Amino acid sequence: MPIIESYHEIEDRIAAFIAARSRHGDEFNSLATEMYTFQRRENAAYSQYCRSLGALERIEHWREIPAVPQSAFKHAALRAFPAEQTAKTFRTSGTTGEGFGEHHFRSLRLYDAAILEGWDSLELPRLPQWVLTPRADFATHSSLSHMMNVLAQRALDDACHFVDAAGKLDDASLRAAFSRCHEPVMLLGTALAFLHLFEWMRRDHLQFILPRGSCAMETGGYKGSGRSLTRVELYAMFAECLGLPDSAIINEYGMTELSSQFYSRGLGQTHRGPSWTRTMIINPETGKESAIGEIGILRIFDLANLGSVLAIETQDLAMQREDGFELLGRDPAALPRGCSRAADEALRSGDE
Amino acid sequence: MKTHERAHQLASAASAFPYLGLSEPGQLLDVVRAELGHEDVLDDFQRYGSHLAKAVAPGTILHVLSGNTPHAALQSLIRGLLLGARNLCKLPSCGLPAIEEFRSRLPEPLREAVEISPQGESWWWENADVVIAFGSDETIRAVRARVAEKRIFIAHGHAVSLALIYEDPELRSVALAARDAALFDQQGCLSPHGFHVRQNAAEYAERLAAEMEKIEAEMPRAALSAEDSASIRSMREEYAFRAATTPDLRLHRSRDSTAWTVVFDPDPAFRSSPLNRFLFVRPWPEDFASALAEVRPHLSAIGIWPATCENAIHAATLGASRICPVGQMQTPPFTWHQDGRQALAPLVRWIDAEVG
Repeated sequence: MPIIESYHEIEDRIAAFIAARSRHGDEFNSLATEMYTFQRRENAAYSQYCRSLGALERIEHWREIPAVPQSAFKHAALRAFPAEQTAKTFRTSGTTGEGFGEHHFRSLRLYDAAILEGWDSLELPRLPQWVLTPRADFATHSSLSHMMNVLAQRALDDACHFVDAAGKLDDASLRAAFSRCHEPVMLLGTALAFLHLFEWMRRDHLQFILPRGSCAMETGGYKGSGRSLTRVELYAMFAECLGLPDSAIINEYGMTELSSQFYSRGLGQTHRGPSWTRTMIINPETGKESAIGEIGILRIFDLANLGSVLAIETQDLAMQREDGFELLGRDPAALPRGCSRAADEALRSGDE
Repeated sequence: MKTHERAHQLASAASAFPYLGLSEPGQLLDVVRAELGHEDVLDDFQRYGSHLAKAVAPGTILHVLSGNTPHAALQSLIRGLLLGARNLCKLPSCGLPAIEEFRSRLPEPLREAVEISPQGESWWWENADVVIAFGSDETIRAVRARVAEKRIFIAHGHAVSLALIYEDPELRSVALAARDAALFDQQGCLSPHGFHVRQNAAEYAERLAAEMEKIEAEMPRAALSAEDSASIRSMREEYAFRAATTPDLRLHRSRDSTAWTVVFDPDPAFRSSPLNRFLFVRPWPEDFASALAEVRPHLSAIGIWPATCENAIHAATLGASRICPVGQMQTPPFTWHQDGRQALAPLVRWIDAEVG
């Protein structure tokens, strides 16, 4: 059995594994199971949780590593290092009355490496970036803003920001930028930010067909905004307002509780993750792994999460595919209301 | 057809649905008398103060139904038929077999007074004198926007119920509490989300869990969609994590399924359940107003134990419109004020005749 290593030693090995982008299963398993033993020892809350499940101190296969629910970050400081060594804390955007979660980092080394290597390993483009999220210095607790800031290193030229600290669109600057734009660009933002952009453009009867080769990266949903669009509807607006086809739009799936991101391109495609991550789909009734093609809850294993917990069970439904997962539906944590359906179903009549 | 005759036919058809608790025409005539003053006032002029008056039923009622329980839907239809209106029933997308079955048990011409459609016809919206809608707040908003100003609109939106166990040293309410929660898989407006227990709440939770397991064997919970199943799992996992790191918090759950869950949470503040037999047991709050603040605008019924006047008076200060014994939460009398309002009176017009 390998000797349990200190934080630095494991961090070095994970950093090397990330850089190598190795799909080698045995090495992933070896790192994952060692990271589990390390976190079980060093992360007090995780340790208590594992003991309550009867999980052993050493595990043979990464699939058996206990996952914490995403919501655990609201209830405990899931740190695998002493609190005084915290270099950075990201906060989730809490829903009303539920509080927010915190993800503490001893160092952003693995996180930043995961962002950049993840982008490159999936061969995502390097273009001038137009960013629709507030700059990181305005939103110091936002992991999304930090991620965008890091991704700007993959931009050709400096990234331009088009929203202020409150997330309000600077439409004058955007208008000017559109009129000067003759080379392909990449727009990055949340789905909600893009929705605001498109609503502004529709209101002012604007359309800017971006140069061929342009693309967009959208992320997040509409939580808390009271708005909701299917991806098909949103992507239709990309086409209408910016002339971008579905294949030019990338969706990023990530969360404050993770260090790595998952990407899909276009509609009806799977999300793929980098080589230092694994996913499982869990049957919500039995708690066991679902078969390929079955719907269940997405559980993610992220080696870059060294300072917290390797395995996180999300609140999202997905279907396991050969090379990734297909995200489905809305937030399952939303309270069901009996036979709840979209409001307009109540109005649908036989003639429509 | 006179009111009496309609009441007879309706009670007869309703007796095939035991959960309605309606088998005698007198139960329906009680509502007419209580709300409109006289059993026959829909048929003929009756004395009303110093003059005569007659109640006139709406011509057409559109019921926009939700699928969470057949109980509320059937009650609405029965009231509409009792008044003598024509009733258009727009079914929820998951269907509602009970409505079809009830209609088939009605003799002519009452059966002719009921039309059922999954989508609803566009002319229904234009022609209905009264629209009664059941559903989420979002659905209610959408329906309200569609109803013309001069029509009567009755909304039965999101509603939540709970139970208070004031005193129960022998835990005699537990089996009844479990039944109240398990019926309709906890999806009705009268289904308790949780229980506040004044003494030995943790023990109450443990016994409640045992009762839920027994009920599962006798009356299994329905299979759920992946979304609803995942809602339960998410909340269970959150509580499992918290139970590992918080003293006193306990999670009881069915094995290998999401069939039932009972959480004992030492925090007395009310929190909504994901339903489908997910129950909270909490200790007695020191300040009920703040413990129930989240739920007060939507509070429907409070089940109490024991059902003494003193306890009812206390429960009445908390914002519910119905107080009843634990064990009877799902069987309101036909005269109940659903959502705190009369059911027949808001729908009728009156004709006064100052003669005789």
